[in-house]
Amino acid sequence: MSQRATDALFQSLFLLTDIRVMLREAAPLHQLSAEEKEKAAKLLKSVRRQVDILEEELI
Amino acid sequence: MRCAGDIEARQVDETAINIDPIQVGGRLTADAMKAVIAYGDGYSVCDNCRKPFRLDYIKKPPIADFHADLASWLEMDACRVVPGARRGFQAVCQGMVQKGDPVILTALSHYTEFMAIESVGAVPREIPKDRKNHITPDAAAETIERVIKTDGKAPALLFVEGVDYQFGNHHDIRGIAKVAHSYDIPVLYNGAYTVGILPVSGRDLGVDFVIGSGHKSMAAPAPSGLVATTEEYAGTIFATTAVKGDQTGRTFGIKEVAMMGCTLMGVTVMGMMASFPHVKERVLAWDEELAKSRVIIDALLAIEGTRILSDMPRGHTLTRIDTRESFDRVAETHKKRGFFFTSALGKRGIAGVIPGATRVWKFNTYGMTKAQAGYTASVFLDIARENGLAVND
Repeated sequence: MSQRATDALFQSLFLLTDIRVMLREAAPLHQLSAEEKEKAAKLLKSVRRQVDILEEELI
Repeated sequence: MRCAGDIEARQVDETAINIDPIQVGGRLTADAMKAVIAYGDGYSVCDNCRKPFRLDYIKKPPIADFHADLASWLEMDACRVVPGARRGFQAVCQGMVQKGDPVILTALSHYTEFMAIESVGAVPREIPKDRKNHITPDAAAETIERVIKTDGKAPALLFVEGVDYQFGNHHDIRGIAKVAHSYDIPVLYNGAYTVGILPVSGRDLGVDFVIGSGHKSMAAPAPSGLVATTEEYAGTIFATTAVKGDQTGRTFGIKEVAMMGCTLMGVTVMGMMASFPHVKERVLAWDEELAKSRVIIDALLAIEGTRILSDMPRGHTLTRIDTRESFDRVAETHKKRGFFFTSALGKRGIAGVIPGATRVWKFNTYGMTKAQAGYTASVFLDIARENGLAVND
């Protein structure tokens, strides 16, 4: 059992959910402000980190 | 894009500004979406269900606390979550109404209130609305008197909507409850368009039952809702089972009959719970929601011939509008007929208006950002100008 992989899976889905909500709040044009872009960048960086963990644990 | 087999991935709220009159208050918060991911399996909330084996006693996840918090938030004594407001109506009818009893509702009542009354074999009697589309205490009193005369007994229950689904108008609930109570008639407050959207106190309203809709106004998955009541009626509405199997002698503990034992499981209750902290916060920002709504109302009223059929100034984000003298005039000669309007809205990323509607229709601005409100207002004006309608700047 890899608790680390399972946590990384859920964490990545949760982070992607935050991005989903950003899309909703910026619909329909999805033109993000500088602040929103910064937030999106942070979220994407965190998602990548979680995907890296999944790769480390599973592959 | 498909999410499974022939099932399309629904992306309405990611790609457009949704103004569907019934959908906007039920859109999930990020936390509710996360809860849905984690609790999608059928009996997911039952991992730690221990004696006395009832949903509202489960401590992990904190469903028991959630029930207590809901009751206290609504300033009522007891609350249960149910699969939609309609099941709340039904539970109250099941406890309070006998076959053949007259039950009062209103000319603006939702069809599910009628269904709840019919489900127990009772007889619906409507309070008429006045010329301004309001249900008044005077009309309630006249209806009660009429029912007593014609049916030979007092109504067993009175339903009234805090805000009705047809016009989004507020009604004098305190006044109506006072009248009903003077005849000893308990009052059910239908908060499908208020609970989770704006502050509601059952105690301040003076009602005996508060019904809320999770999927309509509490940012929760469907079907979800709540029924709250006072200490006086909790024992009746939430009566526990008393039957015994005649062959096996089995009994069923403290399962509640009107709740069919346990009610909301899995994603519905967990989504509702996850959104609840945000819901408690958002009801306090109701004035901001009305301000955003005004931006759009002002734009629509600037289009010559357009009329708002709901109360003005608006006291709710759900609005009924008459565009027979504006957008419907365009539809008369447009090659797409009535579909030109929703087609134009769709191209600009506005969803939720019934396709083909150009006469009398409804929309709801709840939950959009300020930027989205400004954009929506500009879209209505652009469509009007593009189609030769006069716009008063």
